[in-house]
Amino acid sequence: MFRKHTRRAAKAAFAISLGVALLIGLAASATAASKPTVIVGNKNFTEEFILGQLYGQALKAKGYNVQFKGSLGSSELADAAITSGKINFYPEYTGVIVQDIAKKPSPKTAAATFAAAKAFEESRGLTVFSSTPFFDTDAFGMLTSTAQKLGVKTIPDMKKVKSFSYAAFPECKTRNTCLLGLKQVYGLTQVSFIPLASISVYTLLDQGKATAGDVFSTDPQLQSSKYTVLTDTKHIFGFQNVAPVLTKALATAGGSQLASVVNAVSSKLTLDAMRAMNKAVAIDKQTPAAVASAFLKANHLK
Amino acid sequence: MIADAFTPHTFLDAFGFIHHHASFLLQKTGEHLELSLAALGIALVLALPLGLWLGHRHRGLFVALSVSSLGRALPSVVLIAFGLTILGVGFWNNTAALVVLAIPPILTNAYFAIAGADRDAVEAARGMGLTEQQILTRIELPLGLPLVVAGIRISAIFVIATATIAAIAGGGGLGEVIVNQASYGLAGVVAGSLCVSALAFIAAFSLSLILRAVSPRHGRVP
Amino acid sequence: MIVAAGPVIPNFGQGSPCERSNGWFCTDWLSAHWGDTLQPALVQHVWLTLIAVGIGFAIALGLALAGFRWRLVDAQIGALADFLYTIPSLALFQLLVPFTGLTVTTVEIALVSYTLLVLYRNMVEGLRGVPADVLESARGMGLTRMQTFVRVELPLASPAILAGLRIATVSTISVATVAAFIIPKGLGEPIFIALDQNLFKTEILAAGGLAVALALFADASLALVGRAATPWSRA
Repeated sequence: MFRKHTRRAAKAAFAISLGVALLIGLAASATAASKPTVIVGNKNFTEEFILGQLYGQALKAKGYNVQFKGSLGSSELADAAITSGKINFYPEYTGVIVQDIAKKPSPKTAAATFAAAKAFEESRGLTVFSSTPFFDTDAFGMLTSTAQKLGVKTIPDMKKVKSFSYAAFPECKTRNTCLLGLKQVYGLTQVSFIPLASISVYTLLDQGKATAGDVFSTDPQLQSSKYTVLTDTKHIFGFQNVAPVLTKALATAGGSQLASVVNAVSSKLTLDAMRAMNKAVAIDKQTPAAVASAFLKANHLK
Repeated sequence: MIADAFTPHTFLDAFGFIHHHASFLLQKTGEHLELSLAALGIALVLALPLGLWLGHRHRGLFVALSVSSLGRALPSVVLIAFGLTILGVGFWNNTAALVVLAIPPILTNAYFAIAGADRDAVEAARGMGLTEQQILTRIELPLGLPLVVAGIRISAIFVIATATIAAIAGGGGLGEVIVNQASYGLAGVVAGSLCVSALAFIAAFSLSLILRAVSPRHGRVP
Repeated sequence: MIVAAGPVIPNFGQGSPCERSNGWFCTDWLSAHWGDTLQPALVQHVWLTLIAVGIGFAIALGLALAGFRWRLVDAQIGALADFLYTIPSLALFQLLVPFTGLTVTTVEIALVSYTLLVLYRNMVEGLRGVPADVLESARGMGLTRMQTFVRVELPLASPAILAGLRIATVSTISVATVAAFIIPKGLGEPIFIALDQNLFKTEILAAGGLAVALALFADASLALVGRAATPWSRA
């Protein structure tokens, strides 16, 4: 009988201590899990791959649970993804938000574009964090030899060309910052559009399959004299600094801590930095993840 | 890639899309058909005579089987990528990739159709003094025609469905709509997909009719 | 806009001459990126395939038993499977995303759908191919329905079932390359990235070659398994 009591007491003691341990564990995990999960999306071209990795890895280093959803086909689709909750964070270009998603005319300055983008996103349950120093606009690119042959230096010059083809991502067809702008603002009605779902514009330019194409101003290829860009005198390509778009829910859950981590990354993304990273991936064939990691480490963000 | 909401309404929207963009879809269907027919035609020219002849000589069983396995093992995306890298952008890089995919069912079925022809009939014909070519065309081929046509049918359906992927390499066709959800919306994707299914169905049905026409009443129907 | 102290731009290292001139066999790229690009893609691809074929096999078996028993069910399932097969994979992936998101689940649902046609057909044909007199003798020997199924019908149907498994596995490996359109996983991902990078040949050849090799390996392995498991039938 004596033994039975002891055994019962031992069992009780064990149960109680286990319960206490569980409670402590739950409490600890509850406070640890207060950092929200960030589902980072990025569009599928080099610069966006790098940006997604930069923000995602920086967040991961600061203890956030990060998931990467890296195959968003375009801004329209990325926007649909974030408004439907499939992602809650992705890097977007301010001009694209204003001109292509909000379908408004381009403001006159970069700051005005950012303000307009922020106002627009906040009217639909999203918000944006601070924008980067660098900007990356679409540009009207062609082989330098073609430009010389046609005798063109600015986009209005293209009016004298009887007909030409323009290659770009498919969504360019319906965008004011792209084909639509060329047709309506510049009056270039003689253009035929070549949609590219997966291959780069430079491939088509190199193979002579397109007269011109939609290139990005930070493309490393543009640093060589092989390609040239026509001047956008009417500024249809807008101001395109990058600003992270995120859901209001994430911003609230993450608070000022989340904002400071993200803004710290954005502040370091100058034109030179972005160009160097683009080159490392596109020309020197490094992976976006490795390049982002090296950059973050060098700047003590990781 | 992601989507706007996909509701039953999307199907109605898809039909609305077809109605609104009828001429555009027709043009894309034409491109799709052009690509598919070119690939199928070239594959027939390359594979059919070879398969028939190998089957007749009862040689190359290993080749016939390996080609069949290899054909299935070649992902279309990989072939399109190779075609693009080797031949550059244009009509022929995608056609070449589709030809490679179209050959195996045609070759394998042709081989087995002829090789499996009734031995007695063949022997009798040889005894009667027919030439090898006559044996092939008058005895073996009629007997094996159902299996041959069945192989062409499989190949046709496969080519039409796979030609969709050619859009990633600038191939045009209905794949161009399916890949561009950003511009055409999910309704467009459904519309494009319905068109591809319709094309595949028409091809399969037509070849089924031919198959039925050439199949003996009580013979082997694959 | 923030203006802060300029960033440190590390030296990312220059690509080798082979990489910069877009060669076909840049072994330096291959050895540098096997671990971070090619091997993970290969592993992901294998997982995608195994899950799809495993689930597809289970579902197809259940459907085949129903279709074998009831002809009406067979006609319906057959027609549905036929229709599913004509839907281009690119379209099916996109149509599933609103429901299951940008996830592996979306990809798997599509992949499983494509395996169902081949597996179902072969299973039903295999079960139908069991001669009636064999079933009669089994019954005559006093075997129960379940015993007949397990000891007689399944083994006799297994060559057809294994042939179907072989075809389904290889075609799943093939379709899984398209999955990279939705999620950055599998061997399709390096191919799509390389296509965008002005056709980086080494990466296309390496990833494409791995996909083909994987498919051939699976095909050969299953052929051997088939021969070992059913020695009475030819491959």
